[in-house]
Amino acid sequence: MRVLAAVLALLIGLPAFAHHSFSAEYDANKPVNIKGVVAKLAWVNPHAYIYVDTKDASGKVSRYAFETSSPNALLRRGWKRDSLKEGDEITVDGYLAKDPRPLTDGSLHGNARLVTMANGKTVFAGTSADDGGPGK
Amino acid sequence: MIWRSISSFAAASAVVGMLSLAPMRSVAQSGEKGNAKGKNLGGPGGVIAVNGVRDENLPPPPEGPAPRFYDGKPDLSGVWLSGNYSFSSMGGALPLQPWAQKVMEDRRATQGRDDPEAKCLPAGVPRITPYPFKIIQAPKVIAMLFEGNVHSYRQLFLDRGHDKDLDPSWMGESIASWQGNTLVVDTVNFNDKTWLNGAGAPHSDKLHVTERYSRPDLGHLDVEITMEDPGAFTKPHTFKRSHVLSATWEIHEYVCNEFNVDVDRLVGR
Repeated sequence: MRVLAAVLALLIGLPAFAHHSFSAEYDANKPVNIKGVVAKLAWVNPHAYIYVDTKDASGKVSRYAFETSSPNALLRRGWKRDSLKEGDEITVDGYLAKDPRPLTDGSLHGNARLVTMANGKTVFAGTSADDGGPGK
Repeated sequence: MIWRSISSFAAASAVVGMLSLAPMRSVAQSGEKGNAKGKNLGGPGGVIAVNGVRDENLPPPPEGPAPRFYDGKPDLSGVWLSGNYSFSSMGGALPLQPWAQKVMEDRRATQGRDDPEAKCLPAGVPRITPYPFKIIQAPKVIAMLFEGNVHSYRQLFLDRGHDKDLDPSWMGESIASWQGNTLVVDTVNFNDKTWLNGAGAPHSDKLHVTERYSRPDLGHLDVEITMEDPGAFTKPHTFKRSHVLSATWEIHEYVCNEFNVDVDRLVGR
């Protein structure tokens, strides 16, 4: 049993991420489902970021910055730098960062796993299909 | 003229290659939440999500005999993708000395927070990243260009032995020789700053890596890797990797430090 646990720990203990481990930065116990409009797609390394503005029931707008994969990996998945445009309506399924501080620009910080476009298409945005993070 | 023809042909082939990919990526379906395997998910352009790091959604590698360099040696050139990428596995448990085992367990307990890769530092040898690399071959040196984790390169020198008086380095010094159809690469002169894998296995500056590269056919590059490290291992450790040729990909720019906001946000708990 201990051996099995050790093997499992080896397999799942450190989820693979191309650049950093998922669990070092993001909290698998804090899933979010954010519907809003794209503020911008920051096509930067080592991870592209999707900025989404979302309104709560009172009409207050919050801006989320969702980490995705790297531009080169997204490109090979069919994305382009202009795939998401300002004002596009999307829904992001993702996870909040363990560190609750907003980014320096004030955006709330999360990691996107799935992006659903207004036309219903669903896009995998995680670093890779085998990064071990949730949602795989 | 002949070069122009060749380059035109190459360009046309690349376009055909890209077009031939298109029908394989059918329009995405919605309602795939919770099934983000990368196989059936659409990119924004309506194409199926191609996993950015592996080849499972790409056409199989081209078939044919392994090409020969003009000097008669096997030609290892190409853009290579990891055929069996793993963040941490190196063919079973590593024979680590107790101190090294402890270091690895500590790194694992902090979720890989201090991984040099997360800080946009070089991966080292023989750690592999999920990004493709390119081999460019010449008679006296073979160059390996890595797209990630940071842009880095290795030079495999065929015309000399090891320099005895080099400063320790991230990627080591590699001296190569042909043994039949196998390229044997002997690498030493490492610093001790890299992790051997994503699980955090450490090594010392006594690390000695021997890689045996062979190209059994056009589409595959096999490597047998032996790590020896009297400073961190109890005995040598050998494992194998395979890479597949991408006929349609090129390595891309990946400037890891451009916007690395992760560094002070890796809490590791």
